[in-house]
Order: sequence, then C-alpha cells, then structure tokens
Amino acid sequence: MTFAERMLRIDRRIIFLVIGLCTLFPLLFPVGLPIRISSEVRGVFDYIDNLPEGSVFLLSLDFDPASKPELYPQAIAILRHAFHKNVRVIAMTLWVSGTGLADSIVSQTAKEAGKENGKDYVFLGWSPGGSAVILNMGQDLYTAFPADYGGKATKGMPVLAGVQNLRDVTYAVSLGAGNPGVEAWYVFGKDKYKFELGGGCTGVMAPGLYPLLRSGQINGLIGGLRGAAEYETLIGQKGKAVAGMDAQSATHLAIIVLVAICNVFYFTMRRQQRRQERMGS
Amino acid sequence: MELSFEVMLGGWIATGLTLFILSFLYEDNPLFKLAEHLYVGVSLGYTIVKTYDTVVMTLILRPILEKGEWSLLVPVVIGTLMLTRYVPKAAWLSRYAFAFIVGVGAGLAIPRTISSFILKQIEDTVRPLLTLVPGEGVTFTYSLLNPASNLNGIIILIGVVSVLFYFFFSVEHSGPGKMVARAGIVFLMISFGAAFGYTVMARMSLLIGRLTDLIEFSDASYGRPTLWLSLLTIGTLIWLSRRSGAHPPER
Repeated sequence: MTFAERMLRIDRRIIFLVIGLCTLFPLLFPVGLPIRISSEVRGVFDYIDNLPEGSVFLLSLDFDPASKPELYPQAIAILRHAFHKNVRVIAMTLWVSGTGLADSIVSQTAKEAGKENGKDYVFLGWSPGGSAVILNMGQDLYTAFPADYGGKATKGMPVLAGVQNLRDVTYAVSLGAGNPGVEAWYVFGKDKYKFELGGGCTGVMAPGLYPLLRSGQINGLIGGLRGAAEYETLIGQKGKAVAGMDAQSATHLAIIVLVAICNVFYFTMRRQQRRQERMGS
Repeated sequence: MELSFEVMLGGWIATGLTLFILSFLYEDNPLFKLAEHLYVGVSLGYTIVKTYDTVVMTLILRPILEKGEWSLLVPVVIGTLMLTRYVPKAAWLSRYAFAFIVGVGAGLAIPRTISSFILKQIEDTVRPLLTLVPGEGVTFTYSLLNPASNLNGIIILIGVVSVLFYFFFSVEHSGPGKMVARAGIVFLMISFGAAFGYTVMARMSLLIGRLTDLIEFSDASYGRPTLWLSLLTIGTLIWLSRRSGAHPPER
C-alpha cells in the first residue's frame, strides 16, 4: 500500500482529534484575530442604534438549546444594545422547547442593565400555533398573549402602553433556528403589518436567507457565531462569540488543509493507477 | 465566588452529558446511548409540560373558569375531534378537524407565500442592467461587493436563466443549450459550496460552544467536573473496548 493510499484510509478518529485540538487550543490561548464588520450585521445594529428612546422593539427568540452556541450570543448582544438604547423590549418565542432558555437570556440581560420587568421589558413566553401566533399578534397582541411568562396580565403593563398589535412595533428581530423563524416573521408579520424586520439565524440557514436580505425583505442579517461576534464588536462588549472566532478560523484552516491534502493524495493515487494500467497493457 | 448547589449540579450534568455524547466520536457505546435517550426523554417531557401549562391551563381553563369565555369551547371541541382517530368507529369525525386545519392553513399560507417568496423575489431579480443617473446619464456600476450594482444584476440574470434552463428537460441540452445548462451547473455548484461552507461553520460553532462550556466547568468553583468526568468517560471507554475484545461478537 502506498503512502497516499494509507493516508486516504486514515482512521477518521484521527481527523476528529485534529479538529478537536484545533478548536481547543485557540480557546485556551486566544490570538485575537481581527473581525471585519459586514454590511448585513451593520444593518441590524444601525437600525437599533437609531431607534428613539421608548420605541417598541420586539425580539423573537425562535430557537432551542440545540442552537444555543450560535444564537445565544446574538440574543445577548442584541438585548444589551436595546437596553442600552432605552427602548421598550418585548421578548417572546415561537419555539416551546426554547422557552426556558429565552427566559433566562432576557432576565439575565435585563438584570445586568438594571431594567424592570413589566416597565422596561416583558417576556411573553410561548403561545401555540407557530406562524398563526404572528397573525394573531397582528390583530391583537393581548389575545395571543393574555399573560406574560410569569403569569401577569399583559393588558395594562407600562411596557406595552400604546401597543395594541404588531403595527405598533417599531422594529422586530427574529433569531431563528428553523421554522417558524425569520421567514415566518416576514411572510406573516412584516409583509402584512408593515413593520421593519431584521433577522438572526444559524450558519446553516444563512445562505437561504440572503435572497430576503438582497430584496430588502429584511434589513439586516446576523449569520451564525460569526455574525454574533461582529455584533459584539459593534457594541464594544466582547463575549462568547468573539472568544470563539479564533477557534472558528483555526478549524476552517484545518479543514481547508485537510481537503487540499486529500485531493493531492487522491490525484497522486489516480496517476499511479493509470501508470500501472499503462505498464500492464 | 461560592456557587449554589443547583448551579454546580447543572454544571456536572451538562459536562457529563456533553462528554457522553462526544464519546460517540470514538465508537458507539452505552454512555452515548444513555445521553441520547435522556435528551429525547427530557425534551419531550419538557414540551408536553409546557404545552399543557400554556394551552390547557393558561389559554383554555383559566379564561373559561375565571372570565366566562365560553366561546373557547368551539376550538376545544374541534381540537378534541382529532382524538377520535383512536376510536375506529368515530374516526370519521377527525376529518372535520383536519379539514378545518388544512383549509385555514392553506388559506393563510398560500397568498402570503406567493407574495413573499415568488412575487417579491421576481421583483428583485428583474432589475435594470444599466442605471440612469440624472445629470450623469446612463451608468454601469461594477462593484461585486455591492448587491445592488449592475454587474451583480447581470450575474443574477445569467444565474437565474441558466439554472432554470438546466431544469428544463423538454429540450435536449446540446449545442448552445449545453453551454447554458453547464453554466447552470456552475451556478448550482457555487450555491452548494456556499451552503456547505456555512454548514461547516455552523457545526464548528456547536463544537466551540460545547468546548467553551467544558473549559468553564473545569474551574475549581464547580469542583472540576470536566476533569473527573473526562477520566470517567475515558476509563469506561477503555473498559468497554477491553470487554468487547475479550468477547468478540459472533459472526
């Protein structure tokens, strides 16, 4: 067996180990590679940054713990920014399995910013119906969510003063890990009730949402951990996403090198086989 | 900083389950199975409890009993009809519930989806290839980084037409048609490559997330669960592999 053949039949666990080490070392010993801000992330940041004090900002945390590494840092960064701008925050989720996680994100960030539940922000929790909840909120927010996550009646809450339905929302961002998520918020929310919409999503979903971005259906898109790192850089509060960027770059480099090496071995082997065939004939 | 017992316990459970799941990378083993079954059970249990609490208690029982909103019984009855699937003689009643859901769902989704994903996207695809700027006349912008540039408009036009032609099977792909279909394949490959690149990035992000937590839980304030549970996992894997070596599976 030639060297190329042996390398192409290498135990896959060695490759797992290489990728694992390439991820672990930059996390333990960060280098601090520069992070370039993309226009799609800046779109969301600029809109929130320019919201007047007291505007109504809706954040839908449409994900569950399976997507936590990518969407948790995005949610934390956006909420910190929104609380810093003193806008009224309405948080909710369309994913029943993400209710507890969404609640901990909102309450933790609000506590950090010294915000009061019911006055500065509200976490509405989850309501059944998926995309239909958005339509329901578009007609009457209080029918979709008669009580918040803690069981307090939503009607009469100071944070919801003047808010009857989605038409009264200034800006909405959906952080989605699937369906219902950003697309549902556009189709059943923005397109019908005419509020501005931004999106955040997992890396897997990002290519599918770029057409919505280009056509102006959403005004910005935060894609995966990379997008979260860009947002953290923009608000000047480096967190888990920025810390993971060195590891991300290292693993990408490792994968590129592995793909290149495998191709070299593959073509070497093919050339040897052809040479042997020619000699045989 | 002194951590509460619940936080420490959470750290130990999270670390253990992460390591048990990651142990699958070595080989399938009972630790992985344990974590996998726990994941399915806990997530399903959580969903059932949350759904019961929100739907049955908050949205149905409380409004009916406390506010007398008896009209809520209409959706409750329609929903209950679905359960007649389990009674063969009354199963036909479930068709009314399904008919209602399919009818309302299709009625809500079809016009909105056509508007959002077909009309809006066609509107965005059909863009002027040249721009008329007042005072400057007809201009052509070359920037690849600006999605609204004329050059990108031409690339999108070629991409859309060639990919649509590639999926048009009523005409043989030969001569100039072959060239257009080949261009369609190139555009498709670029799209698949971009999607795969993002998928790799997403999967690596998940790994980074787990490793970040493992590093955090290696702290002395948690009692170093990462260290102890790593030793336990590795030890178990060694023991299991020795045991399976001593009793090779029957062929």
